[in-house]
Amino acid sequence: MKIVIAGAGSVGSYMAEELAKLGHGIILLDNDPSVVSRGESIPGVQFVLGDACDADVLAKAGVPDADVVAAVTGDDEDNLVVSLLSKQEFGVPRVVARVNNPKNEWMFNDMWGVDVSVSTPHLLTALVEEAVTVGSFVHLMNFERGQAGLCEVTLAEGSPAIDKQIRDLAWPREASVVGIIRDGHVLPPNGDFVLHANDEVLVLARAEAEDDVRAVLIGS
Amino acid sequence: MAFGFGRKKKDGAPADAEVFPALATIEPREHVRVKGQIFKLKTRPSQGMPALEVTLVDDTGSVTVVWSGRRSIGGVGLGRRIIIEGVPMKGPRGLTFTNPSYELL
Repeated sequence: MKIVIAGAGSVGSYMAEELAKLGHGIILLDNDPSVVSRGESIPGVQFVLGDACDADVLAKAGVPDADVVAAVTGDDEDNLVVSLLSKQEFGVPRVVARVNNPKNEWMFNDMWGVDVSVSTPHLLTALVEEAVTVGSFVHLMNFERGQAGLCEVTLAEGSPAIDKQIRDLAWPREASVVGIIRDGHVLPPNGDFVLHANDEVLVLARAEAEDDVRAVLIGS
Repeated sequence: MAFGFGRKKKDGAPADAEVFPALATIEPREHVRVKGQIFKLKTRPSQGMPALEVTLVDDTGSVTVVWSGRRSIGGVGLGRRIIIEGVPMKGPRGLTFTNPSYELL
């Protein structure tokens, strides 16, 4: 896939290196010549010097036929402009944007051309919550512009789902168990799988189904 | 290449002499200038912000045009013929232009 990454800071450079290793065609954009010269050592990554908020620069960098654009600068305004231009002027199918200040996250939606936003503070909060909580509902990440999300519940002793088979639980529509983690092992969610206390249950669900998932795994 | 933000008008032939590609033939992600008639018009809220969504038709097919951040645009009404210029992409309602430049005819 052809991927254009705007912002060659630590996040952008790391992504470029990892994605290039996986065999993707990477173009890294930054307007700081020193960053660009430093980064030229990354194998398989093409560097373009220029302001990613300029449509002509994006056109030169190959955005017109890119499969993915990732706007990962340290500046939320820039990330939004890059996202909007990529979507509106070039019809990029998938635009991923980094949220630096969680207060700006509400703007990272399809009005600004963003398909997926990644907010490090929110992600960290969710992961810390996930690590320390048993028996509560943790929303890990969003897909499809927030319409669906991956959620996790570590089953507490008193959970209504304990000692039941997955198929016997009253799952709502638009929710699917995607896996169970037990004692560090990932187990597939077969219908006859019997849940135990301390199992981590991962559920993919639409936003409106989350309350029902919560009722199934935690009780009300 | 003329970008939407530039709002650069094409030089040369007047609109009635210009030949436009049929709506059924346009491809996603290619910059085009097309003509059509407004067949459907609706305002939809999108995460708290309004957007004007227009269905444009010609004899061959239709495209969707979305202008974000507004409920109406002066002159953009049912039955009106307009030219739009921009890059369409595949959307849930067929090919969709986002904030293209437009000319009322």
